[in-house]
Amino acid sequence: MSTTNSPRDAGGTTLPASAPATAPAVTVPDVAPAGSGSAGRPGAPAGNGQRGPAGNGRRRAPAALRALASVWRLWFFAALIVAWWLASASSSSPYFPPLSEILHRLVDLWITGDSKKDLVPSLEHFAIGYAMAGAIGVVGGALLWYFRHVRDAITPLLYFVYVIPSAAILPAIIAVLGIGNGMKIAIIVLASVWPTLLNTVDGMRGVDPLQLDTARVLHMSPLRTVRSVVLPAALPQIMAGLRNSLQISIIMMVVSELVASTSGIGFFILDAQQRFAITDMWTGIIVLAVVGSLLTLVFVAVERLVLGWYIGARAVEGKR
Amino acid sequence: MVSGSLRIAARVGVFVLALALWQVLSATGVLSKDSFPTMTSTVSALGHQLGTRELWAAVGQTLQGWALGMLIGGGLAIVVGSLLGYSRFAYRSVIPVIEVLKTVPAIAILPLAIIIFGATMQMKLFLVSFGIFWPLTIQVIYGVRAVDPVVRDTAQVLQVRGLRRFGVVTLPSAAPFLATGLRVAAATGLILAVIAELIGGAAGLGLGVLTAENAGPSELPDMYALILVTGLLGVVVTGAFMAAERRLLHWHESQRNRSSARAS
Repeated sequence: MSTTNSPRDAGGTTLPASAPATAPAVTVPDVAPAGSGSAGRPGAPAGNGQRGPAGNGRRRAPAALRALASVWRLWFFAALIVAWWLASASSSSPYFPPLSEILHRLVDLWITGDSKKDLVPSLEHFAIGYAMAGAIGVVGGALLWYFRHVRDAITPLLYFVYVIPSAAILPAIIAVLGIGNGMKIAIIVLASVWPTLLNTVDGMRGVDPLQLDTARVLHMSPLRTVRSVVLPAALPQIMAGLRNSLQISIIMMVVSELVASTSGIGFFILDAQQRFAITDMWTGIIVLAVVGSLLTLVFVAVERLVLGWYIGARAVEGKR
Repeated sequence: MVSGSLRIAARVGVFVLALALWQVLSATGVLSKDSFPTMTSTVSALGHQLGTRELWAAVGQTLQGWALGMLIGGGLAIVVGSLLGYSRFAYRSVIPVIEVLKTVPAIAILPLAIIIFGATMQMKLFLVSFGIFWPLTIQVIYGVRAVDPVVRDTAQVLQVRGLRRFGVVTLPSAAPFLATGLRVAAATGLILAVIAELIGGAAGLGLGVLTAENAGPSELPDMYALILVTGLLGVVVTGAFMAAERRLLHWHESQRNRSSARAS
C-alpha cells in the first residue's frame, strides 16, 4: 500500500499531495532544492525502483552524451561572465576593477603564488568541524529518536539553541576558547550540527510504523533494525540535513576567520579589504565561490551515490 | 491530559535544569569567571537592559534591517522566480548560475559591501537581501513549476491568463514552497543582519554584543544578555513564520496531515 504513494495518486486534489519542500518536517528549515528535500514517505518508493526496464533503458543514455547534452545550459553562465568582462573592461571604479585584471591577479596569487596556503587552514577547520557536526548530528539524532521521553522533553531547548543566530554566540565561544583552532572548529560544529540532528530525528520519526512492527515480529536486533529499516527510510531527510549543515559550515568557516584570525581565506579577503587591495579582495571572493561550489558539488555527487535508489524511484514516480 | 501536562512540566524542567547547570558551572569556577558570567548576573543584566532605551533601539535597528532586507530580497526573488518558473528554457539556463551563486556564502560579499556602503543600514540591507535572494528564488521556481498538469491544462482551456492565472493557479500551488522558503529566509536573514552588525559594525544588537565584548570582563554579563536577546528574537521570528504558515496554509495537504498526525 505504501508503495503507491506517488504525489499525484495520493491527493487527487488540485495540488500535489506532498510537495517535497513542505513534507512533515515543516519545522526544520530545508534549503535543499525540492529533489533532495525532506521526504514525505521515505520508505515508500523502495519498491518502485525496479519498475519497467523499458522506462529505465531510455534514461540510461551514455553518461558522456548526457553531460554533453546539458552543456548548453551553461550558455547563460558564460554570457554573464562575458558581460562582466565587457562591462568592466574600461572600468575605472575602484570597487569594480576589470575582470581581466582580477583574473590576472587570481593566477598570480592563487595558482602560481602562495595564497593557496591560506586555503589549507580553512579547509582543515571545515573538514574537522563538518565531520564532527555530521557525526554528532546523526548519532545524537538517532539517540534522541530512540529515547522518546528524553526527546520529548529536550526538543524545545534544542530548537531554542538552533534559532539563536549562530554569529551571536561567536563572541561567547571566543571568550571561552580563545582565538585558536579549537574555537574555529567549535563554532563550525556548534552552528552546523542542528540541521543534521533535527532532520535525523524527524526522518527517523517518519519511519513507517508497520515496518518497525515487522522488524519486531521478525526478531531483528535493535542494531539490525536501525541498519536495515530505520536508516534507509530516514536517509533522504538525513542527507537534506547534512546538506544544510554543509552550507552553514562553509559560512561559519569564513565568519570565524573574519572575526579573529591571521590566516585562512576569510582573513585573506578581510585583509585585502583593509589594505584597500580591491582586486585581491575580488580574487578571494571568487576563490571562495569556487570552493563553496566545489564542496556542494562533491556533496551532491555523494548524495547521488548514497540515495541512488531513492532518487531513481522519485524520477520514475515523477514521470507521467 | 495528565500526560500532556507532564510533558510540559518535563520541557520546562529541562530549561530550568539547563539554567541551573549554567549557574553551578560558572559559580563553582568550572567555567572561568573571566569568560563566562554566572546565570544570575546575566539575567539581572538582562533585566536591567530591558528597562533601557538602548536595548530596544538596538532591537529595532536589527529588526528594521532584517524586515526591509526580507522585503527587498523576498520581493525580487518572488518576481524573478515566477518569471523564470514559467519558461522552461529560461529556467534551465539560469538554474546553473543560481545554484553556483547560492553556494557563494553571502559572507564573501560582506567585505565588498562594507567597502562600498560602510557600516550603514544599506550595507545590512544589501547583505540580507543578497543572502536570502538565491535560495528563495530557487524555492519559488520549484513552486511555480509544481503546478498540477491537470490544473494547468484546465486553466489553459478556460483561458485564464496573465495576472489572474498567477493569482488563481500559480500562487496557490507555489504557496507551500514559498512558505518554506520564506521561513528559512527569515532565519537566515536574521543571522545575516547580526553578522552585518557584528563584523560590519552597523548599528544593532550585533554591534552591542561586539561593544560589550571589547569592553572587557566587567561587561561580560551584558554581552551574554544581548546574546540571549538575539536568541529570543530568533525564536520570535521563526515562531511567527511557522504560525503564519500554519494559518495561511491550513487548506494544504502538508498542514492537514500535520494536524491529523497531531490529533492521533
